[in-house]
Amino acid sequence: MKHIFWIIGLIALFFIGDRVGGYVLEQIVLKSKFRYSRLYKGEAKADILLVGNSRGLSFYQPYMEEMTGKSTFNVSYSAMPMTLAEVFVNDYFDKYGKPEQMLIDVTICDRDNPQLIAGFNAYSAFSPRVDSIVTATEKTVGYGGKFSHLFRYNGEIFQRSVFYLNKLDNNWLLDREIAQRLKDDLINVDTPSVKLVPRMVESLQRTVQYAESQGVDVKLVVSPYYKPFAEKLTNLDAMIAQVEKATNKKVYDYSRSMERSDDFGDYQHINIKGSRTYISLMQKDGIIPDKNQKIGYSD
Amino acid sequence: MVFNSLEFLAFIVVFFLLYFNLKGRFRLWLCLIASYFFYGMWDWRFLGLIAVSTVIDYQLGLKLENENNDVKRKNYLIISMMMNLGFLAVFKYFNFFADSFAVMVEGLGMVPSWNTLKIILPVGISFYTFQSMSYSIDVYKRAIPVERDFIKFATFIAFFPQLVAGPIVRASEFLPQFDREIKWNWDRFISGTGQILWGFFKKVAVADSLSLVVDNAFFDPMVHSSMQLAIGVIFYYFQIYCDFSGYSDIAIGLARIMGYDFPDNFRTPYFSKDFSEFWTRWHITLSSWLRDYLYISLGGNRGGGFGSVFFILVFMAIPIALTRSWIIIGACAALIIGTWLYMKQGDKNRKTAYNYMNLMNTMLLGGLWHGASWVFVFWGFLHGGYLVVQRLIGPYFGAFMRFLRIPKFGQAGINIAIVYFFTCLAWVFFRAPDFTIAMEVINGIASFENFNWANVTNKFGIASGFMLIGMLLFVEITDLKVNYAGLLQRSPAFRVVSFATILWIIAFFGTFGANAFIYFQF
Repeated sequence: MKHIFWIIGLIALFFIGDRVGGYVLEQIVLKSKFRYSRLYKGEAKADILLVGNSRGLSFYQPYMEEMTGKSTFNVSYSAMPMTLAEVFVNDYFDKYGKPEQMLIDVTICDRDNPQLIAGFNAYSAFSPRVDSIVTATEKTVGYGGKFSHLFRYNGEIFQRSVFYLNKLDNNWLLDREIAQRLKDDLINVDTPSVKLVPRMVESLQRTVQYAESQGVDVKLVVSPYYKPFAEKLTNLDAMIAQVEKATNKKVYDYSRSMERSDDFGDYQHINIKGSRTYISLMQKDGIIPDKNQKIGYSD
Repeated sequence: MVFNSLEFLAFIVVFFLLYFNLKGRFRLWLCLIASYFFYGMWDWRFLGLIAVSTVIDYQLGLKLENENNDVKRKNYLIISMMMNLGFLAVFKYFNFFADSFAVMVEGLGMVPSWNTLKIILPVGISFYTFQSMSYSIDVYKRAIPVERDFIKFATFIAFFPQLVAGPIVRASEFLPQFDREIKWNWDRFISGTGQILWGFFKKVAVADSLSLVVDNAFFDPMVHSSMQLAIGVIFYYFQIYCDFSGYSDIAIGLARIMGYDFPDNFRTPYFSKDFSEFWTRWHITLSSWLRDYLYISLGGNRGGGFGSVFFILVFMAIPIALTRSWIIIGACAALIIGTWLYMKQGDKNRKTAYNYMNLMNTMLLGGLWHGASWVFVFWGFLHGGYLVVQRLIGPYFGAFMRFLRIPKFGQAGINIAIVYFFTCLAWVFFRAPDFTIAMEVINGIASFENFNWANVTNKFGIASGFMLIGMLLFVEITDLKVNYAGLLQRSPAFRVVSFATILWIIAFFGTFGANAFIYFQF
């Protein structure tokens, strides 16, 4: 009989500790200055909404705000799939209404990423949409998070929210120059390609349609690649054509627009220094406004 | 069906309910049926393989016991060895040798005209064939009595907790335990559950979390900074340790609850002060198997003969044939001539040279046991080389440290660091899919390019990885003083708190998704 007591005690202690721990972690997430925490606690109101994967971080917020005079909010995250970005865009619209402009790097449609989506379980307590996409993508993770609240906070996303507990994350971009050995090795890189995932393109199409129906000026772009690398990308033009056809919108192609290697952190990402060049290029083309210029709905 | 899956949880609950409500032969039958079901869940087609191996070794065991003619007995043993090694050769090594042969033939300007067969590697084949072989050898040596009960023998070969990734349990250790009267025992349940939970912590929380960083580093080493690659290699040591020892812990814990005692397979190997000690702490059941059935058979440290020379020459000939590199040809020729001149100087030298050859052969074959790839053989070669070099210069190095008046704990620390460093170097080849990637990792680390924290990606994964390694080391170090297993039995409060803590850590840090164990591929 004494053994039954300790087993019952173990089960009770596990759940009590799990719920208390889960509550503490939820408060930490809510207190964080990480962009998704700010989104859900009402601190993300901005003029320009920026959307992308790790390449979307090239819309470097400090320079973007300094050069345009507009406030920005960037929902981009490394390897983020468009379906997840769509969730955040919809939640943003629900919470804050429409921004003036939305800038999307369309290479966000190049992959699905169930593992990353599952990681956002840390935000499922704040958004029924996040909860739905997590459960639909990874059932075990979705239901696991309901069984154990500690499990919800198991992953990189929670760790990032702890890291940004007391500091903003809007300067999140590579601060290094592309390594020499990487440049030297480019000759050995097999022909790379950007393959679009149809489900992600559909999600982009829905997001664009929804934003435009709300009167938002939506601009689609392809951020710069390290030029010798971009020249090896054989299907870039076909990919752009595919997105243009699906969304019925022009895609502004900056993939081969930057020559200097010291503007890049690696083959696919510009660094902080390069972001200023990139933002200037977009300004020059009228994609984003100059300081004090009003954003107009045009294509 | 892996241990870290919901299917296994359902399986083991049903199994235990039946197991402790059955008695005698019914219970034995249940173990056998459950083991075949467990194995069949991987791929039912390989059930035939394990069944054939079991039937033949059982019959040969009976013949070995009943036969008194030495020649016939030797022939029976040869049949058993050929069958077991034949299964390994076909299912594990055929494609590897065929591909290597094709490379050699192509190097001679000819075009090989066959296609490699599509053979699927049966999971755990290296483990159960070694277990089966040890039985035949021991019966041949009359070191153990033959097992006349077929169901017991079949259960010994296929016993599900350790079937696919060890520990490799000898017949002499396991078969007598079937004669025990087994009843539900709370002490066994508590210590078994403790070991299972600790195994899950190692596998699900530590190994699978570290694997995210390691896989990233080894996937495309050229894009990573020097520090990222160094962390990837350091993490791999702990990943493979936690993955494999975690499996062993779960297997040993399950067996303990069922009433069976399995030998330890790991004893904090990262604290080894020399390479010989490493092999008494790492994969103990395999290293002791290799010692007893290979190293000693070759002559061990007493001498050697044809086998010692033959294997070493074969292992030298293969890289020469594959690469046709003059550097390798020159190095091998120098080694052969040097060894020959050394051996000519007397019996003591000959014995020493044979001993080194036996060590090298054992490690090379041990490397090949792990997988059908030259990177595994090279891993074995490095460990063989470490053992030989340690014997050559170890005494002088020890004297040098004493000459410098380094305190004992300092000497131990230096030795542990040296063993850790060179073991990590060998793990690079073990983990890398080929030599190109392995060299990219090593060159990347040695370049010291961007060797700073700023150029490390996935910092959170790395930070939590170090945190988990810290927890692991804390428990394993303090366990040497505290003896947590004893405390679990004595203190219900400690039991409840420690079990709950492990479950919380697994929930918070664990990587879920039924990731297979690394050693399943071997």
